[in-house]
Amino acid sequence: MARFIMTVDLRRCIGCQTCTVACRHANATPPDVQWRKVLDIETGEFPDVRRSFVPTGCMHCGDPPCMHVCPSTATYQRADGIVDINYDLCIGCGYCAVACPYQARYISHKREFAYGDKPTAQEAARFDARRMNVATKCTFCSDRVDVAKEKGLTPGVDPEVTPACVNSCIAGVLAFGDREDANSNVSQLLAENQFFRMHEELGTDPGMYYIFDKK
Amino acid sequence: MKTNIQPGRITPWHQTNWDWRAACNFIGGGSGTGLLFFATLAAGSADSYRIMALIALALVGGGLTCVWLEIGRPLRAINLFFHPQTSWMTREGIVAAPLFLCALAAVWFGGGALVGIAALLGVAFLYCQGRILQASKGIPAWREPKIISLILAAGFAEGAGLAAALAAVLPGVSPRWLAGALLGALILRRLAWMLYFKALEQNGAPRKALDVLRSFGAKFEMIGQLAPEMLVVAGIFYGEVMPYFVVLAGLAAAASGWWLKFTIVARAAYNQGYALPVLPVRGQGEVKPGVKPGWTK
Amino acid sequence: MAAAKSVKKVPQYCYQCVAGPDLLTVKVEDGVATEVEPNFSACDVHPGAGKCCVKAYGIIQKTYSPNRLLAPMKRTNPKKGRHEDPGFVPISWDEAFDIIGAKMKEIRARGLTNEYGYPRAAASFGGGGIPTYYMGTFPAFLAAWGPVDFSYGSGQGVSCTHSEHLYGELWHRAFTVCPDTPSCNYVLSFGANVEASGGVVGAWRHGVARERGMKRVQFEPHLSVTGAASAEWVPIKPKTDAAFLFGLVHVLVREMPREKLDVPFLKQHTGSPYLIGPNGFYLRDPATRKPLLWDLKRNAAVPFDTPDTDPALDGAFTLDAIEVGADEETWTHRGLAAETAFGKLVERMRPYTPEWAEQTCDVRSGTVRRIAAEYVEQARVGATVEIDGETLPYRPVSIQFGRTVNNGWGAYECCWARTLMACLVGGLEVPGGTLGTTVRLNRPATTRQASVRINEDGFMFYPMNPTDKANWAAKPKVRNAHDTMVPLSASSPWSTALGPTHFSWMFQKESPDENWPKVTPPDIWFCYRTNPSISFWDTKELSKRIAEFPFIVAFAYNRDETNHMADVLLPECTDIESTQLIRVGGSKFIEQFWDHEGFALRQPAVAPAGATRDFTEIATELAVRAGLLEQYNEAINRGSACVRLSSDQYDFSLDPKQRHDAQTIWDRTCRAASAELTEGRESDGLDWFKEHGLRTRPISRLSWYLFPELRKKGIRFEMPFQERLYRVGVELGHRLHEQGIKWWDVQLEEYGGLPKVMDFPGIWEQETVRQAGAGALADYPFWLITSRSMQYAWGSNVGVPLMNEVSGNVRGSKGVLINRRRAQELGIEEGDIVEVSSYVGATRGPAMLAEGIRADTLLMMGQFDHWATPYAKDLHKPSMNSLIPMSMALTDSTGSSADIVRVGVKKLEAAS
Repeated sequence: MARFIMTVDLRRCIGCQTCTVACRHANATPPDVQWRKVLDIETGEFPDVRRSFVPTGCMHCGDPPCMHVCPSTATYQRADGIVDINYDLCIGCGYCAVACPYQARYISHKREFAYGDKPTAQEAARFDARRMNVATKCTFCSDRVDVAKEKGLTPGVDPEVTPACVNSCIAGVLAFGDREDANSNVSQLLAENQFFRMHEELGTDPGMYYIFDKK
Repeated sequence: MKTNIQPGRITPWHQTNWDWRAACNFIGGGSGTGLLFFATLAAGSADSYRIMALIALALVGGGLTCVWLEIGRPLRAINLFFHPQTSWMTREGIVAAPLFLCALAAVWFGGGALVGIAALLGVAFLYCQGRILQASKGIPAWREPKIISLILAAGFAEGAGLAAALAAVLPGVSPRWLAGALLGALILRRLAWMLYFKALEQNGAPRKALDVLRSFGAKFEMIGQLAPEMLVVAGIFYGEVMPYFVVLAGLAAAASGWWLKFTIVARAAYNQGYALPVLPVRGQGEVKPGVKPGWTK
Repeated sequence: MAAAKSVKKVPQYCYQCVAGPDLLTVKVEDGVATEVEPNFSACDVHPGAGKCCVKAYGIIQKTYSPNRLLAPMKRTNPKKGRHEDPGFVPISWDEAFDIIGAKMKEIRARGLTNEYGYPRAAASFGGGGIPTYYMGTFPAFLAAWGPVDFSYGSGQGVSCTHSEHLYGELWHRAFTVCPDTPSCNYVLSFGANVEASGGVVGAWRHGVARERGMKRVQFEPHLSVTGAASAEWVPIKPKTDAAFLFGLVHVLVREMPREKLDVPFLKQHTGSPYLIGPNGFYLRDPATRKPLLWDLKRNAAVPFDTPDTDPALDGAFTLDAIEVGADEETWTHRGLAAETAFGKLVERMRPYTPEWAEQTCDVRSGTVRRIAAEYVEQARVGATVEIDGETLPYRPVSIQFGRTVNNGWGAYECCWARTLMACLVGGLEVPGGTLGTTVRLNRPATTRQASVRINEDGFMFYPMNPTDKANWAAKPKVRNAHDTMVPLSASSPWSTALGPTHFSWMFQKESPDENWPKVTPPDIWFCYRTNPSISFWDTKELSKRIAEFPFIVAFAYNRDETNHMADVLLPECTDIESTQLIRVGGSKFIEQFWDHEGFALRQPAVAPAGATRDFTEIATELAVRAGLLEQYNEAINRGSACVRLSSDQYDFSLDPKQRHDAQTIWDRTCRAASAELTEGRESDGLDWFKEHGLRTRPISRLSWYLFPELRKKGIRFEMPFQERLYRVGVELGHRLHEQGIKWWDVQLEEYGGLPKVMDFPGIWEQETVRQAGAGALADYPFWLITSRSMQYAWGSNVGVPLMNEVSGNVRGSKGVLINRRRAQELGIEEGDIVEVSSYVGATRGPAMLAEGIRADTLLMMGQFDHWATPYAKDLHKPSMNSLIPMSMALTDSTGSSADIVRVGVKKLEAAS
């Protein structure tokens, strides 16, 4: 069985925000709802200072606390490891949001637009009322992954079936693929490099792997 | 409330998904089920039980109503019951239904086995509430396992307090041990609080959450614990001359419990934030030790 | 049942910054643009893997902005100024063209230049030539018009990487300079912010390089995103980069064994062995007047181009020779003991020890020596690599600069030291080393190699503006006087915009002296994608100058601070509503090195909003109204719009006498492009390009490197000695003094054979004291600098909310960055509103505390002092542009200055 994961090469990331805007476009999220978000973290004291750029979002955990707490079963885990939300079931209780240790979930209670109180043509065309007042988050662009088999394409290799953030990344930071396939791009990357997963100690088995050095 | 995140935040920030309405559920649920428990044991008469139980149900129902008002899709509230396998929120909802049925039946019949069953369902409801918080893995101040005993102890202290206060004004004679039970519940709550806070301190928590709880704890242990404890002790010894010592103690025990839950749910609920176990290599640089900004450990 | 949704992906390009183009597609659903994506079909030819930059994603919100101007407007209030309501009212296109047409005809009737010799028409466009990728055939209109003054800058020309442009082109045809990143292993980066301003290709190439272990050391006063992505950050004091670089040169030429350097390269491919006379000019062969070197094989002085020589690098030699100075002054020497240029260099570097550098730039001397050693070690002197059958030196080390380092005082010295450092290890214009990207001042501009020809001294020819008595332009041809004052700015179409463009504004207010030809405003000014009212220095004063312009035509997407003064606003289609074909590939600005060349198309993905028009249609109508249709069409035929429409292999020329619509013009252009790429075999037109988006063909990677061309033509790099510059400077001084002009004397001192490091920060400090009085340095204790933001750089996109949203995720983008400890000393906390002031103005914004910035430095990223641009004006961000003076004292000999100023900071209100 597949387990789709994302690798994040922290050596390469420059915090350019391209993945964030690509996600905003692909998933038509409202202003300030950034399913893929890049943190700018400064550490140390002058002059020994480091700045790291860290893409975050839903980690598509193997053991997702958001799913366990969800009272409506709206949050569910697919056979391929992707954690998704059924917007028609979600009651918008926010329990998943407080259960997620990655701050990955959003609930929009009010329609908001880029320019004041009216939608642009783009916003009007892409508006989805099902997403109001329910939890939303990164889906690993599951709608794209869904058509991979039918089209004979490989997620993470063929852009059409690869998450928008990965497609957009201008520094080769993000990669997507099947962790269970030893020959996949992500498995190769993890075999060749050292990596960590964020808040792994919480037992969530997160599906984003942060590469920080070669082996 | 649009989003749970503010761009640029790294250190834990306060969650914005559950506000005072959620706190009210834990307040109402704790006090209500606690009161129901003590009403069963300590009501001076069938009518007293009825009044106490109705107040208890009003508290539990009020809390649930607050939550219902908070959810994004209130008309879909029925979906809450879909996930009993793992969700303590579903389980809370499932317990709530027979709890209300049994308690209302007990009120109607004015006694019998239903009274005891309702009390036990109330305790189960209270336990669910503790587990709801503990399962919130994203909020370090909630996920600490000792929060379960704190929620239970707080519910009993609030219930004992309200029962003691109501007993003074309701018909019939309540048992003399009620004041002692209140004292015992208060002592248990103090103990549960101290163990909970110590565990957070020892295991590490968001600095701001710990600051809130530390500052709260200093006041809580004096005003919320010591004051009702002394009042109830005074009531035990001087109840004959000053019958309202116990009433005051009971009200103080309940109010301080509400204060405690409001603080934990609505003020100390800082999220996990972000952390890096190591800092990455950049070209030929070296891996550096990681960071967990905004945490005590 | 609802009709099936129509979905298509329309190929486009994005050229919002000079690091473009990026190739992308716009997804259009039922006629509405919904998503931007990389053009995946371009990933094999585009050097950034076909990705597109964050700014490209803003074009949909830009297109659908409710703040767009959707109809032409005319001004009804004749008074102009920031506080005057222009009273714009919508008019028809016909009325707009009637107004402009009448004005153009009136001007042409009076003559194309005014009584002072300046063009009556002027035009200003945003930086880096980017607007030309969006203005369709407007360049053909300008070509048809005749003389146009492009010298009113909006920052470009002076606060660009100015010295790099000028000296870069002089020394290695490098309008901009970068490492050969794909094969470089060690980069010293002084303030270069490639991760913010290098575009997709820069980010991609450096990302790949980092992963394979390229080490980059970043020198800058604050830790930029590029510093963050570097192996090491050296927090150098502002404007002292030259000192550090001279320290490096000192270590290389005075402390290291000579064999560590690339001695054969220095001898054969640079001017190092040329012998220098006592007057500071090359010693020359009396018969041929060729520069001499000392041949160790013959033990005699021989002309530089004598075959089979072993030139001496160091040492003193006795010889007979002549020396030719400025204005042909000639000295004859007999039995003269002379040193080589390299010997002079070694002597010049004597004082610039690492210990001296430490005092100047606040970086330890040990760091200077360690980095010098690493640089030489990593250079792998002697290594070679074969590319397409040619064996070339392989030197994987490079040095790159950013703005404020390579413009203004001190920039010449930096550029010189950088180029010299490359030569010392044989790493200039070779694989792995330091490369130029493109040419703008030298011609032809088709390739860098095409512009290379030898001059009489064995170096590359350079088209200096003449300084000899007969040919010097005593009367400037344009208002910034670049042809008169800055010989190095050359005389290409780009030169005007690369002169001291602040002079046009400064001299309009006040002539530098009574002899100077009066600078009057242009009779008509066209502006597009430029906003000098907020983007230049001393913006308050500059806005007043614009208000003095009698007639302004602004091509306007929305209202802004510059078109606030306009007489007519012409709303053009946005990037995804109009058509244009551009050249892609080869090597272009910043890091754009392709293995292909060809063309890419921008096309309407959605219908134009309101009454907006394709720029090409506007340009054609302007040509008609000015009575210039024939000249306009001929300019298009010559290639003004992209490509020549005819050659000996094909002919798709337009009939000059006929009016052609935009579709026809671009169809012909596309056909010519197809034919050019296939040597006449194919002639696919606009429809083909609309479907495919781009057409390319492979090219040899040898085109990335200039060294093979120089080696083939026997040309040397003009390093280290600058005889030509010295001569030009002396001559320029003569000419100016003959005119009684003394106000350029300080700048003239910069011309010399070998540069010296001055107290460059002191120039700004002294000017602060001069203008604000003794004690001013205590009032203004900080250096204020700026830094690029990828979300905004060059984009003219401050009115796009998506960019504001995501730029907020980047530290420092919304306020004033200040060192945490220093802030605490001043009682300033995170988010407090602070006022930052210089002696010319003040600005305010939230304080953002950071460890990654020097205690003596403040940083403001975006310069968003908008007061008219919708959306942007409500952001209330701080801007340093209102704090920087326009000053002759702060202008260097190339006519540039830098975005740096002494400021004070005080807390206004606590964080809310």
